[in-house]
Amino acid sequence: MMMLEHEGKQLLASAGVPVPRGKVIHAGSRWVEDIASGVTAFPVAVKAQVRSGGRGKQGGVRQVKVADELPRVVKALLDTAFGGDKPDAVLIEPWLGIERESYLSVAVDGRAEGYVVMYSPRGGVDIEEGPPPARYAVGAPWNFRVHEMRRVLQDIEPDYQWREKVIALAQRLVRIAAMHDCSTIEINPLAKLSDGALMAADAKVVRDEWAHFRNAEIHGMREAEKQRADTLLRDSLDMQHMYVRLDGDIGLISGGAGMTMAAMDMIAEHGGRPACFLDCSPGPTSTRGYRPAFAMLDGDPQVKVILVSVFGGGTQMQRVANAMKEVMAERKSKKPVVFRLDGTNVDQVPGIFEQFGAHNHARLEEAVSAAVRLAGRAA
Amino acid sequence: MSILLDRTNRVLIQGATGQMGTFFVEDARKYGTKIVAGVSPGREGTTVGGDVPVFASVRTAREETGADSAIVFVPPAAVLGATIEAIEAGCRLVVATADELPVLDTIEIRAAARANGTAFVGPNSPGIISPGKAKLGFMPSFCYKEGNVGVISRSGSLSYEGSKRLTVAGIGQSTVIGIGGDPVKGTTAAEALELFHNDPETSAVLYLGEIGGSEEVFVAEYASRAGAKPVAALIVGQTAPPGKKMGHAAALIGSKAEGHQAKIAMLREAGVHIANGVGEVVSATRAALASHAKATAAA
Repeated sequence: MMMLEHEGKQLLASAGVPVPRGKVIHAGSRWVEDIASGVTAFPVAVKAQVRSGGRGKQGGVRQVKVADELPRVVKALLDTAFGGDKPDAVLIEPWLGIERESYLSVAVDGRAEGYVVMYSPRGGVDIEEGPPPARYAVGAPWNFRVHEMRRVLQDIEPDYQWREKVIALAQRLVRIAAMHDCSTIEINPLAKLSDGALMAADAKVVRDEWAHFRNAEIHGMREAEKQRADTLLRDSLDMQHMYVRLDGDIGLISGGAGMTMAAMDMIAEHGGRPACFLDCSPGPTSTRGYRPAFAMLDGDPQVKVILVSVFGGGTQMQRVANAMKEVMAERKSKKPVVFRLDGTNVDQVPGIFEQFGAHNHARLEEAVSAAVRLAGRAA
Repeated sequence: MSILLDRTNRVLIQGATGQMGTFFVEDARKYGTKIVAGVSPGREGTTVGGDVPVFASVRTAREETGADSAIVFVPPAAVLGATIEAIEAGCRLVVATADELPVLDTIEIRAAARANGTAFVGPNSPGIISPGKAKLGFMPSFCYKEGNVGVISRSGSLSYEGSKRLTVAGIGQSTVIGIGGDPVKGTTAAEALELFHNDPETSAVLYLGEIGGSEEVFVAEYASRAGAKPVAALIVGQTAPPGKKMGHAAALIGSKAEGHQAKIAMLREAGVHIANGVGEVVSATRAALASHAKATAAA
């Protein structure tokens, strides 16, 4: 779960990482007064607080030189959508006198069996176009060694004073990541100011949502994410469902991430378009679990057909079939539903489906082709 | 043969008295798995599945029953403690199926497994099955049949679907291992490939992967090595948008190299037999087996 820049910077500052002294202006409230009282020195950087990447290239960071211009720029940023979302806030910081922009990140990496530190002497908005950053595979966080990182940076960062500052910061970031369950901490740019001091000019911090049980902040972020969702989606998220909206018309209710993607791909192969990735397997395999998934897709005008595709191991199919029977009985929508259940106790499914006149397709191909046909008819 | 699991493993279950544990005892025993002990602190002295004794600790369970492998069915917050207990008590194989495990905990478990020479499978995985011999996980037994294809999967449900298609087509499996959908894994694709490489019963490998992460780089590396066993692969997520987490923590396209097209190109370049969609799993595996037969005949 990605933190907003100002939240991430607050976390870093609490652990002693130098960040600019900024002011957060929230949309909606008394932001004009807030600016007047809180921002006195110019020039400033005004930065849209959004969770999508590439903000700098989309004009989400503006320089303002005089106080008169500030309200107009703040309003313009609050009214602009970045990656589909308008910012809830902007961050106003003093404009930094930057001598050099570099790049530093700490991230979970499968190859490293833990954390990897990445550094590039040239950072900024075009980091992805440049040569790949140097990698120091740390592994478990307690394995960070200053001398090993020094060896990695030896040839790529000739300024030894700066190099030592970067290494000390990297060590601290790894510690922060482990203590606060961060899967990524990326500082780009890591600014070298004109007096040689180091400053985290930006911060992208991603928290591990599964640490919610031991971290109040992450728990709060999860709850806030649900609050941002509309009511129908919220009910589904409350059941631990995983949902990604897509642009097609076949609503997919599925179990298991891999099978959900396999079904999406097969829908496309048959000339159809999936309306979503919706993996219900982490939730209860009961009526209570599936009811919100149907309510959401029934309420979505984009969805023409619902395809239920579940291949369960620990999930027992007679339970899923009974849940389907109950959901179908109480459901008001006339959208057609196509079923393909397979897995543990699938032999009990036909008997249950017979009771409410449903058909269980034996193969995914048959179910997908039926769903694509029905979607074509509805269009 | 098979990898990591066969008829000789003596299995203990941590969290044996919970719902998953109870279901597993019955299901896995029916399949032939030797379940010798349960571990549930506070419930010692009782039994599960009729006659399997329950102990307070892994150490006692090992001393009393000779258990050498563990499967962990405890809530995510307790997985770290339970797996490390099994690892440090000397189990040779530890399977943790739990999803929703903080990645930091996996990092710690993996480090402990390495230090103790334990094979750790999981998390976020259905477990491991050596068809006809034993299973450590809750995969549906009827999907599998004994044979010579090793299967590695990042996704549980996809491994059931893929294996069932092989079984229906008459192609059996030596071992099917769920390496899991998380970015840090107990057993990586590279490690699983190495195990299959050294297993004389395995003739070819079917790899079931996803978009996101770098696991497939190692599959390609293995496949292009001289003397490698033939590999077939399916990568799902062709229709997944970039920048969105598709259920699994690791199934997120963060860069071009992690997308579907780049992975397929890389695997094809390495000589992997590609299945375009789950419907081609059988034909791609057949092609891999055929190239193994050809290589064997030539040698």
